[in-house]
Amino acid sequence: MKFECILSLAVLAPLLGSLLLPLIGRWSERTRNWLSLILVLTSLCMAAMLIPLVTAGLTVSVQLAGFTLFYADTLAVFMAIVSSLVGAVIVLYSFGYISHYPWRNEYYFMVVLFLGAMMGLIFARNLLILYLFWEITAFACWRLIGFFREKSYVLKADKAFLVTVGGALVMLLGFIIIYNQTGSFDLDQIQKALHGRPIANIAVVLILFGILSKSATVPLHTWLPDAGVAPSPVTALLHAAVLVKIGVYVYARLFLTGMEIEPIWHTVVPAIAAISALVSAGAALIETNLKRLIAYSTISQIGFIFLGLSIGNEIGIAGGLLYILMHGIAKGGLFLCAGIVEQNAKTKDITKMGGLITTMPVTAVAFLLCAFSVMGIPPMGGFFSKYMVITGAVTSGNIVITLTFLVGAFLTIIYLLRAFTLVFLGESKLAPGFRPAEGSPSMVFSVAFLGVLSIISGLFINFPSQLVQTAVHQMLGLI
Amino acid sequence: MSINFIFEPIALPLAAGIIALLFRREQGKACAWFCTAVTAAHLAIATYLFGKEASLTLPWGAFGFEFSLKLYHFSGFIMLAAAGFGFLISLYSTAFMNDRRFLNQYYAYFLLTLGMVNGAVLADNLIVMLFFWESLLLTLFGMIIIGQPQAFKTAVKAFIISGVADLCMMVGIGMTIYMAGTMTMSQIHLPLDTWSSVAFVFLMIGAIAKAGAMPFHSWIPDAAVDAPLPFMALVPAALEKLLGIYFLARISLDLFVLNPRSWLSPLLMVIGCITILLAVMMALIQRDYKRLLSFHAISQVGYMILGIGTAVPVGIVGGLFHMINHAMYKSCLFLSGGAVEKQAGTTDLAKLGGLRAQMPVTFICFVVAAASISGVPPFNGFISKELIYDGALERHWLYYAAALLGSFLTAASFLKLGHAAYLGKPAANHSKVQEAPAAMLIPMIIIAVLCLVFGLWNALPLNNLIQPILGEARLEGHTFAGWHFSVTLVLLTVLVLIGAFLNHIWGAKRAGNGLGAADHIHYAPVLHPLYDKAERRLFDPYEIGLKIVRVIARIAWGVDRGIDYLYDTVAVKVTYAFTSGIRKAHTGSLLAYLSWSLAGLIVIIALIMGGI
Repeated sequence: MKFECILSLAVLAPLLGSLLLPLIGRWSERTRNWLSLILVLTSLCMAAMLIPLVTAGLTVSVQLAGFTLFYADTLAVFMAIVSSLVGAVIVLYSFGYISHYPWRNEYYFMVVLFLGAMMGLIFARNLLILYLFWEITAFACWRLIGFFREKSYVLKADKAFLVTVGGALVMLLGFIIIYNQTGSFDLDQIQKALHGRPIANIAVVLILFGILSKSATVPLHTWLPDAGVAPSPVTALLHAAVLVKIGVYVYARLFLTGMEIEPIWHTVVPAIAAISALVSAGAALIETNLKRLIAYSTISQIGFIFLGLSIGNEIGIAGGLLYILMHGIAKGGLFLCAGIVEQNAKTKDITKMGGLITTMPVTAVAFLLCAFSVMGIPPMGGFFSKYMVITGAVTSGNIVITLTFLVGAFLTIIYLLRAFTLVFLGESKLAPGFRPAEGSPSMVFSVAFLGVLSIISGLFINFPSQLVQTAVHQMLGLI
Repeated sequence: MSINFIFEPIALPLAAGIIALLFRREQGKACAWFCTAVTAAHLAIATYLFGKEASLTLPWGAFGFEFSLKLYHFSGFIMLAAAGFGFLISLYSTAFMNDRRFLNQYYAYFLLTLGMVNGAVLADNLIVMLFFWESLLLTLFGMIIIGQPQAFKTAVKAFIISGVADLCMMVGIGMTIYMAGTMTMSQIHLPLDTWSSVAFVFLMIGAIAKAGAMPFHSWIPDAAVDAPLPFMALVPAALEKLLGIYFLARISLDLFVLNPRSWLSPLLMVIGCITILLAVMMALIQRDYKRLLSFHAISQVGYMILGIGTAVPVGIVGGLFHMINHAMYKSCLFLSGGAVEKQAGTTDLAKLGGLRAQMPVTFICFVVAAASISGVPPFNGFISKELIYDGALERHWLYYAAALLGSFLTAASFLKLGHAAYLGKPAANHSKVQEAPAAMLIPMIIIAVLCLVFGLWNALPLNNLIQPILGEARLEGHTFAGWHFSVTLVLLTVLVLIGAFLNHIWGAKRAGNGLGAADHIHYAPVLHPLYDKAERRLFDPYEIGLKIVRVIARIAWGVDRGIDYLYDTVAVKVTYAFTSGIRKAHTGSLLAYLSWSLAGLIVIIALIMGGI
């Protein structure tokens, strides 16, 4: 009973708590800000409290009238920790970033609602509940991308909404086909009804549509760079750390643990991921808008995660999961650094910056540390995840896909260094005499924290890798 | 001996490196002596550890990531050499670097580099090795970037080249672990079949790129100009060579067994020969002290790779001996270049001259090191080159000829360098130049003496350091120590050296000064346009690679924009066309709506009837 309460609290605290935020905001800004942080931290703590239980191989489920509402295994707990950890840092960062824009009540409401829906999605055991939370995240995302209310921004928000919701509706058709095949929306029931038979390929195609649109994979990706018009903490939240991981998570949840799929998908999905990684990495080399550049980088790295998860061996899956953690931390950090740069230098065009390291040293170093982690350079955490994903590809024996990802990894190094040097090094190309200052304390603390966390996650790889190992063993039914 | 003592070579420099970062800007001098004290302590410990054997395994992560270290002869030797260079160059830096910026960062990266090199050498788990190996990218980047305001371009170049090579190595390590079924290096012994040869190539890319062989070399000459000079003496001249050749030897001797029948052996030898020749050709025409040396730092790697690539014991022994010899004379040469830079204020050979009288000690050290690199008997470079020649000749005379030609050009370019910098008329504004301070001279003298010792008493290093690496079984009772070389080969070497000397005399007389001594080669009919293009970096693999990357990026950008066009334009237009068609049907006329409804009804009825 105790663990069921913890699990429910992890989902319901931010989900229901978010409704209070606009009301409290009318009365006190500070209280609202701190309450948002506390709500997200509640999720984080609750998820962390479930670790001893799930690593022992047990699971928790919350029943309501014979209907499984929430369910936690190691995979879900791992994902919840990643999302709420990065989410909490982003909320803290928002204290400084958003403080001088209007509609702050809506902002905190939507951010916390989004994270609550994310928790619900992670712990969902039923396809319909999963779909419900999926659409709540899409709605929050739509409001947040168009947050600055400019006409062109709202159009980009509409684009993101239409693509992801369109994908989700197609996915719903896939769920209905599965229902027809098995007679249930509950993942346990589905698994029992299938008896190890693979599900229909048409259902896989339809569900993949939803997954790929949410995780912004080529050719359903172009809404993601466009969504860079959102406030920077939102881009970090949605497009680096949390929202785009929904697709990969659901892929792992459905196709790695719940249902069998035909072996052909272990080649098709990595191939899509490889194209996606390469195309977006190339685009990142041309792009000159800092936030769009990092968004392309996200698309490219999502390709690596898909590769790991879909390649069909243990080390690859583990690498993919670890990648979700490392990429969430590092890419979140990159977006937040971009936010500081963009807000203080008053431009997003990297060809018009330069030399910012002299006035924003902490941001520059944090950016570099996070970039190293995304590149996969030790001692950053990204090294281990990249190694494991690449090894997964090598182990599968598929040379073409391995080499494509190798090129993708080369390009990652090049475009991130290009961005770093153009923004932070060399001669300043800003207006003469204009020397942008460092961001506010909460913002600088947040990026420094993520930068340091990138190193710590590599040096103390023991803890995350043990958690991931348990998750993979549980997923593959080895324990 | 406590088992944890094996940790010290990694932990002490890393911890000290982090402490060095805490020094404030105005405490540069204190930081320098702190670093020197740490490297001295480290040298003492490395000396103590040399020759001992120990191993240690700690759990580090899931999936078989174990933090396992193994101290044995080879790793102890590399560690000792690295510690020696670390101490001497740190001592040198106390005088050389004293008026630079970012001193705390410089010494921090210095110590971190040392710790990571030790980690990579001691590691007995491939992942741990890769972890330390790739971490070196960070300090490489940092050390170049603090050189001067525009140095970041070179830092980026070095980072990208090394990073790409390290990613290849990552793939190789993944393949090796999969095939061997273990990550423990001392348990991996794979025969070279098709797939393991591919893995070998990926690992080899990492190893030779670290050592600075072609085509992964082009950042080194740029760094020679941009980075602080002791960095050049420490990293590209010494530590990276030691590390790269160490790993190349490990993969050719332990992890895989490279034999002369494998296609990999000629591959390595060809890479070696090309590196020797092309790099030395470039060195010959350089007009800057440091840039000239940096091309030799590339060229000499070719000898080591050629030696190991021969896959016969004499060649391997020669290659490994050349590794340590090169680290000695090349860092000595760079240090002499630093002394000239510090005292005369420039390294441009056109502005130097006649320094022999003003800097006699530096001059003598330079002569010893230059004679070693040119392979003049009885210095150490002569011994190791003769061994490599023996090995190369055992495979094919072409490899031998390439190596010998390389020696000719090496000697020619050092005659030119020495002539231009130290002989001839003193430059007009250098009348007040003085000898370098003692802290800079002592490291040079020590290394120069060692060059002579390692040559005259070559049994000392060969029997104690090099030959145990191969082991008794592989040596089959042979020993390569001593002075029993084939008379013909020695005679040929001496003839080539005399030829280089005559060539220099003729060239210098023709040009009227030492600097122009190689002009007849530089401006020779076929070579001149090629040299021009090379100087404009048209052959720089990095530039070519970036051009290819730009093409890939343009194509990718086109694909991306094309897909976006589908969403932003095509989808919108189709929607508008569709809705405007529908809108036309809504005329507001009752008659029209009734006829639509009637038509629909008929269709439904027809469908139902058809269905029945």
